Amino acid sequence: MADDTTAGLHRRGFLQRAGLLGAAAASPALLAACSGSAVDEGGDSAAGSPSASASGAASASEEEGPSASESASASGSGEALRVGLLIPTSGVYTLLGESMRSGFQLYLDTNPDAFGGRSIETIEVDEGETPDTGVRGAQRLVTEEEVAVVIGIVNSAAALGARDLFDESQIPLIIANAGANDITGAAASPYIFRVSFSNRQPNFALGQYMYDEISPEGVFLIAPDYAAGTEQMAGFREAYEAAGGTIVGQTAPPFAQTQDYQPFLAEIQNAGAQAVHAFFSGGEAVTFVQQYTQFGLGGTIPLLGSGFLTEGAVLQGQGAAANGIRTSLHYVSDLDNPRNAEFVEAYQSAYDALPDVFAVQAYDAAQLLDLGLAETEGDTADMATFVEAMASVEIDSPRGAFRLDANRNPVQTFYLREVVDGANTYVQDLIEVEDAV
Amino acid sequence: MSSGRERALRLGLLALLAVVLAVAPFLMNAFRLRLLTEVLIFGLFAASLDLLVGFTGLVSLGHALAFGVSGYTVGLLATRLTPNATLTLLAGIAVATLVSLVTGALVVRVRGVYFLMLTLAFGQLGFSLAEQWTGFTGGANGLPLPVIELYPGSALLGNAVGFYYYALIAFVLGYVALRRLVDSPFGRSLVGVRENAERMRAVGYSVSSYRLAAYCTAGAFAGYGGALYAQQQRFMSPENVGFETSALVFVMVVIGGRGTLFGPVLGAGVVLLMQQELSFRFEQWQLLLGGVFIAVVYFLPRGFGGVSRLLGPAAARMGRTPDEVAPGASP
Amino acid sequence: MPDVGAFLSDNAVTILNGLARGLVLFMIAIGLSLIFGLADVLNLAHGAVFLLGGYAAVQLAPDGNGFLVALAVAALVGLVLGGGMAAAVRPIAGRGHLDQALLTLGASYVLAELASLVWGDNYYSPLAPAALGGATQVLGVSFPTYRLAVIAVGLLIAVGAYLLFERTQLGALVQATVADRGMVSALGVNTSLVLAGVFGVGTALAAVGGVLAAPVLGVRPGIDSQVLLLALIVVVIGGLGSIRGALIGALLIGQVESLGVFLLPELSAFLLFGAMALVLLVRPEGLFGAPREAAG
Repeated sequence: MADDTTAGLHRRGFLQRAGLLGAAAASPALLAACSGSAVDEGGDSAAGSPSASASGAASASEEEGPSASESASASGSGEALRVGLLIPTSGVYTLLGESMRSGFQLYLDTNPDAFGGRSIETIEVDEGETPDTGVRGAQRLVTEEEVAVVIGIVNSAAALGARDLFDESQIPLIIANAGANDITGAAASPYIFRVSFSNRQPNFALGQYMYDEISPEGVFLIAPDYAAGTEQMAGFREAYEAAGGTIVGQTAPPFAQTQDYQPFLAEIQNAGAQAVHAFFSGGEAVTFVQQYTQFGLGGTIPLLGSGFLTEGAVLQGQGAAANGIRTSLHYVSDLDNPRNAEFVEAYQSAYDALPDVFAVQAYDAAQLLDLGLAETEGDTADMATFVEAMASVEIDSPRGAFRLDANRNPVQTFYLREVVDGANTYVQDLIEVEDAV
Repeated sequence: MSSGRERALRLGLLALLAVVLAVAPFLMNAFRLRLLTEVLIFGLFAASLDLLVGFTGLVSLGHALAFGVSGYTVGLLATRLTPNATLTLLAGIAVATLVSLVTGALVVRVRGVYFLMLTLAFGQLGFSLAEQWTGFTGGANGLPLPVIELYPGSALLGNAVGFYYYALIAFVLGYVALRRLVDSPFGRSLVGVRENAERMRAVGYSVSSYRLAAYCTAGAFAGYGGALYAQQQRFMSPENVGFETSALVFVMVVIGGRGTLFGPVLGAGVVLLMQQELSFRFEQWQLLLGGVFIAVVYFLPRGFGGVSRLLGPAAARMGRTPDEVAPGASP
Repeated sequence: MPDVGAFLSDNAVTILNGLARGLVLFMIAIGLSLIFGLADVLNLAHGAVFLLGGYAAVQLAPDGNGFLVALAVAALVGLVLGGGMAAAVRPIAGRGHLDQALLTLGASYVLAELASLVWGDNYYSPLAPAALGGATQVLGVSFPTYRLAVIAVGLLIAVGAYLLFERTQLGALVQATVADRGMVSALGVNTSLVLAGVFGVGTALAAVGGVLAAPVLGVRPGIDSQVLLLALIVVVIGGLGSIRGALIGALLIGQVESLGVFLLPELSAFLLFGAMALVLLVRPEGLFGAPREAAG
């Protein structure tokens, strides 16, 4: 995402090549060292159909060498299926990307005979932290690596920016995080799936609870100033006001650039807030929660929020300051159902850590792909049929079973969690949320 | 090398280049073709900066302002009014020139490091504007664009091959225009302003007018590049207006060789190609590149531009940095 | 007539916070300002040094213990890096701002990437020393004690810098070299040594600033650019080569970042760069800088 006043100075680098004059004439030829001709492909800026991916795979892997990482695949003897994994491996969301990779890989490792008999070839590309890098990453996967399906994307703006690419080239995208409402709303497409959440959902789920159990009035909203922040707060406001609650104020610190929340915390205090509903993710969540306690609001004004406030690696950074914070999310690692018990055990023995929601989302993305392939018996030649098959399945997820609505967004239950001794614990079910289609 | 052989070599290389560019779509896949298209677009952008840095001696770290403003103009028009390629292109150039006129009037009043920082400040102001003006620009989320059309209903520019030829023609037109500009008396006056402003003033030239003209012209061509960029990428984000992009094009000019016009085009090719290839190969690649950057500063102050002398004797004359002309007189 | 008293007490904590931020910014800006004033070098690697200071805190005092060690190590490393940069810049001294900017930019890339190599891309939140870990009541509101300590240290350094430059011979020497290097050199002083010294101390201060800021701002890739840009604004507004300018400018920017963001959130970005642009246009040498011959 873009930074505000100060952080425009991102690093760029470049390399000198010797013999530049020759390169002037040679570079088009060098570029051509890759096989394939744009004209033969029908000149489409998008990749051809998945059937072309088999031939594309051979040539691409010769030149790319170690660049795109390819994992050991499921051991099916069938034709290889190239799956693109578009996750952040640099920047603000790196830790989320790592969780996602773990979750995705776990499904592959624990389901060796899945995917309709196809063997999975994973090509991982860095999404980066801006929509610019995310869209380019998607383009690379679709047009250069010629994958049959892409899984991933953390940044909502990147998802929106790449939407047309997938829709036009008819390559399915299974979003394993990005929450922008429009992705399965105004910008919905038969080729865009989401197994994570929409920004509205976790917050909407908390509205009634806040009214009933915390405070029927005087809630203050705070979230960073970008699409996800705005949409999450809107989701909460919708439910809370419908229940009869009154919002006493709202503020939006500049995204990815605010390190000192003191002015905003002062605003909260000055407004006489009875409770705070917040959304922050990643490093910002760490800073905000720490400072919330440092400036004295910790014991006096209850802090609740969207689950990302206290999810995953941020808990370590927050330390004791996180204890007592209640949040709403579609997953918590101590959920009591057999699927989750099995999942948590497998995850812990593979990675020696508790899974977080990002891992579950990526795990479910792999599962969705698997279920779709099971329906078509491994056949992805007709993409239109394949995506319809994927849209119709019910996913037996560690978060509980869920299905996709007509715009391919999850219809799922949200849970109330509380941080106790540095870890999230299940408190109660909230509600099942389905977005309007 | 004798002048005749030099000319023959030069023409031969140009011919080879022309042929390769003409048949490029048959030699590479769509992704690579898109990359080549991007090289052409950034080449034009870098050449426009060279007009400012290399020829007029004005070091700007805010050149992406004109570039990005043009791109956003194309985006706004394409999403709200018409996706016509030519119309949006011209509109982008017009807005970029206007913005350059307004900022230029202020910016040419200062020199040296102050000019550098002022252009940086204006660039960041543009960046902030792009981020905050969510209604127009989509804010931090960026602005997606539809496919542009040459005429209503045409899908020619919707695929990589069609767009490549469009961009190629646009590039050739733009580059030739810039070339003729720098070879003209106007261009020579700019070099004069760069090398010895005092003397130019003494002889009766209005130095600030020339600087403003150079700034606006550079802005117009940057807008040209920016419009093409928006049309190809189909996505504009605030980064395209701010320091990140300004630094990128700046680096292209330095690496390619300032004051040669063609050097920066090569620089664009090198930088983009390397960025594509290296970033997927190893994570801290920027470490290596930062090191080479430093090496270039020490050992190759003019980038590889000196080599491009072979492409034109005029370039060699123009290509002399101020230090070589009058040591110590640098801005 | 606006009630200034009420305004101040309502926003006391925010203003105090702005003071803390401003003083940290001062530590970075002073080096940048002097280095430019003395050597005509715009040291774009200054932010990366700040970043390294932060990582010193992460590495040596992650839970607050060993904070003094981290400070000492950072100061030492800063000194060495500064000296190194002074030496690196000499060969291209005559080549103009473009090449210097490039060199220091390249150095900043290298330093930042090295940090990323060693510490990864995580967000780190080192803790303040335990003794300063709690909160103090200021005008009825909780304010982290550590930030008060930062203000104290910052003021100490400001006073120390003032005394050094205004009251000692060494300071007079530095000021004279800033004003007219040729003359000082003609008097037989080794100005390269003065340069190296200023480079070293200025860079050390930036590193120390990084350690001090770490428990407040956290440490992660990207803060080097953010801080550098803020420091540039400070130095432009305050005046290149002026210590007083660096202090006033830093305090001003600290308040804009704190109070300004609180009062006018959407405008804060424009405020900063708009102010920078305004100063460059109206009085390029800054509020307190000496008029320089902008060559050409």
